[in-house]
Amino acid sequence: MLPSELLAVWKRKGVIWPRYAKLSDDHLEVAAGLIEVYKSHVGEKKSIIKEFTDEVEEKGYDYRFVRGLSFLLDRRSLFKCNDKINAVNLRRKIYHATAGARLATTPEQRRRIVEAVASELKVTAETVEEFFYADLDTELILEEFEPPSPVELLQEYNLSLTQTLLFDSTEVRFTSSGNWQRLFYSVKKLGLIYEAYQDRGFWVKVDGPASLFKLTRRYGTAIAKLLPVIVSSPEWTVEAKILWKYTNEICNFKMESWKHHALLRKPKALIPSFDSIVEEDFAARFQAVATKWLLRREPEPVLAGKQVIIPDFSLEKEGIRVYVEIVGFWTVEYLLRKIEKLKKVDVDMLVLVNENLACEKLAKLEKHPRLNIIYYRDKIQLAPILHYLEQASCEVKAKQTGFVRDLSVVFTEPVVNYEEFAARIGVSAEAVKAALTEKPPQGYTMMANEAVRKDVLEQIQRRLEEQIAREARLCLSEAVKAIEAEGVKDATTALEVLGYKVVWHGINSEKAEVAKA
Amino acid sequence: MMRLWFDKGTLLLRGEAGTPYGKWDPRVGCYRIKALHYSDVLSYLAESRLPFQDDVSNLPPSQTLKDVVELRPYQNEALGKWRRAGMRGILVLPTAAGKTYIALKATSLLKTQTLIVVPTLDLIDQWRKRVADYLGIEAGAVGGGENNVQMVTVSTYDSAYLQAGVLGNRFMFIVFDEVHHLASPSYMQIAEMYIAPYRMGLTATYERSDQRHALLPALVGDLVYTAKVEELAGKHLSPYTHEKIYVELTPEEQRVYDEQMGVFNGYLRERRIVLKSAEDFHRFIMVTGRDKRAREALLARNRAVKVALNSEAKLALLAKLLEAHRNKKTLIFTLHNDLVYTISRRFLIPAITYQTPKEERREILENFRAGDYRVVVTSQVLDEGVDVPDASVGFMLSGTGSTREYIQRLGRLLRKVEGKQARLVEIVSKETMEVRMSSRRRRKTKEEA
Repeated sequence: MLPSELLAVWKRKGVIWPRYAKLSDDHLEVAAGLIEVYKSHVGEKKSIIKEFTDEVEEKGYDYRFVRGLSFLLDRRSLFKCNDKINAVNLRRKIYHATAGARLATTPEQRRRIVEAVASELKVTAETVEEFFYADLDTELILEEFEPPSPVELLQEYNLSLTQTLLFDSTEVRFTSSGNWQRLFYSVKKLGLIYEAYQDRGFWVKVDGPASLFKLTRRYGTAIAKLLPVIVSSPEWTVEAKILWKYTNEICNFKMESWKHHALLRKPKALIPSFDSIVEEDFAARFQAVATKWLLRREPEPVLAGKQVIIPDFSLEKEGIRVYVEIVGFWTVEYLLRKIEKLKKVDVDMLVLVNENLACEKLAKLEKHPRLNIIYYRDKIQLAPILHYLEQASCEVKAKQTGFVRDLSVVFTEPVVNYEEFAARIGVSAEAVKAALTEKPPQGYTMMANEAVRKDVLEQIQRRLEEQIAREARLCLSEAVKAIEAEGVKDATTALEVLGYKVVWHGINSEKAEVAKA
Repeated sequence: MMRLWFDKGTLLLRGEAGTPYGKWDPRVGCYRIKALHYSDVLSYLAESRLPFQDDVSNLPPSQTLKDVVELRPYQNEALGKWRRAGMRGILVLPTAAGKTYIALKATSLLKTQTLIVVPTLDLIDQWRKRVADYLGIEAGAVGGGENNVQMVTVSTYDSAYLQAGVLGNRFMFIVFDEVHHLASPSYMQIAEMYIAPYRMGLTATYERSDQRHALLPALVGDLVYTAKVEELAGKHLSPYTHEKIYVELTPEEQRVYDEQMGVFNGYLRERRIVLKSAEDFHRFIMVTGRDKRAREALLARNRAVKVALNSEAKLALLAKLLEAHRNKKTLIFTLHNDLVYTISRRFLIPAITYQTPKEERREILENFRAGDYRVVVTSQVLDEGVDVPDASVGFMLSGTGSTREYIQRLGRLLRKVEGKQARLVEIVSKETMEVRMSSRRRRKTKEEA
């Protein structure tokens, strides 16, 4: 974040945006030049560095850009006072020498006083002059400097510049491809208030308590602190309202990852990582065992009325989704609040609670059908979780089967593939199969993965018989071709249904033949 | 039952009824109310006979205050007017007229949790010392790295603003020292985000050039008492004289001045820019970010001003004046830190700027108070409130055109000491724009008188 007088922006028709440093040759050159100035002046006074950076400024670059870069380089520098002689002590001695009615109004009086102090400290008069104000900011010595690369410096500048613009923001809304737990944690910690909503994606609008009464920049600093967290995700969009103090007008600001990602510095500390070993361990073991389930870390938050639920994981399989949250220290009240939230929303949630970390004695909790609490002691046990998932998928399957049954669709197409149809109506293929097996559609034959219209099967049979009549034999590959030509995917089952068997001559399927069973 | 509580600088009300002060906040499903209206809401709910639970305040433990403040008659009058206005309001008194004592007296009468908001860290120390001396308790402090809330707490405007979300419900009485600061867009939110029903604003310079002081009565209470320097000088303040001495720039300085001002004025003429007000000037500075020539013009002007303000002729005259006032306690004021250090080095006298380490500043002021150090040179930090007991001579080498600064610098010299005759001398470069700045600041004070 830069001092506000270094904020450089463009503003047109109510839209405002920072004058980003492009990662182009001339900007990189300025950055490289300034880095070099600092690098080559380790051990020298700050005022000397300033002289050199002023020169860069005079070459015609926006002074705010050059000073902004210097400001960031200062932050990477360690300036120290030359403390061979303590300047404060030295001054005290001098002030005592001129105390009372003693004055140094003529050069002669002045020289005498300086010399007296010098001899008292056993140094030369020049040393006294040199160290008189050695502790002033401009006199400090550059001791250490941690040079960034020119690209890094420009990216850091762009991020700081944007944050400085956000100081004047009255609200911000953003969406992000992840990182939600950290984002909501930061929003809360910074004393901001959020509103979450769906608007082609999950959006969060952030401002503060007093924003209700009037436009205020009060929360701008906190909002600016959110920016590094937001842009540390791979994809994001940020929109803000900026109260431009010089004209008192509200301007719109927008930045998007596809356009600005490369321009900005991504904070190192924010690379997504597992919050705890427990979570990481759970994810690894679960994925090894339950291979059919898709495990997603930090899925998109779930809207529960005005609140959001930010689960640790989602587990997905065939249209079933279960959210998982691993709870460290907890209270009964915490779990009750969770249940309250879940009442407002149509999702299933699995809460894994460490019994050892209970803040109070386990009380009997009201059982909520959508919230399943599984306790563990030292290590999360997978068995009860898998059991729950199994049950959940059974339940869901039963429900979906009922749903498909009640649908009573009348099919007309030659082949109904369970999986495709399931995807179309948003249930699992198994549920479709179960429902159709229970009550097969009129005029269709049920197979393993598809239902085939009877006249299609008859057509296939006619083709196969013709072949056999013509050539006295039918090789498997020909048969499969003929079956697939009618849109049936599972040729093996089709052959079985039509009363054929496959006669193998060795393991080469080219040589296999089809014969009446 | 309805419940009222404090949420980060605002009040939240949950329940079936709203109040005329609140606004429905859909984000949280409650009525949200400015903390400023705390007492209004309480009386509204009480009058409406609506049962409610008040969880708003979170006051630090109460302590017994001693009451040893003796007020002068005009201070008593000011306090009386404030009490009759419902323990709210603004008092305008000249620097050195003892505003602090009125606030301390009010605190000892109210015997309630009190926050004193001040502009600088120096003033925190000063108020804490006064609280210890006159109320007999140790005051807490928020700001400058400290965060310690006590029954009486002193805070900077900055910290009171930044921490309004957690401090806003901890005090019932709030004192704004140098209350003109409160009118800025951000600081005025302090007044809005604290629940304290009792409020007092203190200043020597109520009016602001941007007219924003008109906002203060709604935040703190009406202006209930005004006393001017002229009314108190002689009796309660030291009598004083003011004079202006013109010096000529050296020929070399005059040449540089004319040349640089020529660049600046040439640019203004060419672009037909007229700079009349501070706002005009600010807009011009905005332009300099885009326009390289505008920036060059601005830099030329700054160089010219610097030459005039730091003229060698001024330093020579200053040497003579220091000789002439060899036995008087003297303060030298300048606008820029550069000049402070030039003077400090040249005359080997103590300097105070914002860069002076806190410990050294304390030591210098103490020695100055004790009379060991006789001359101190400073830029702006001593302008406001810092208590420098009995300097009797002031030399102003450069200043802005601000009336406030003039009054405050004069105030540094006016604390009443028997037999003291204060003298303020302005040293102004002839034939420069400095002449205009100097007359601007005085004209205003004369009008007021």
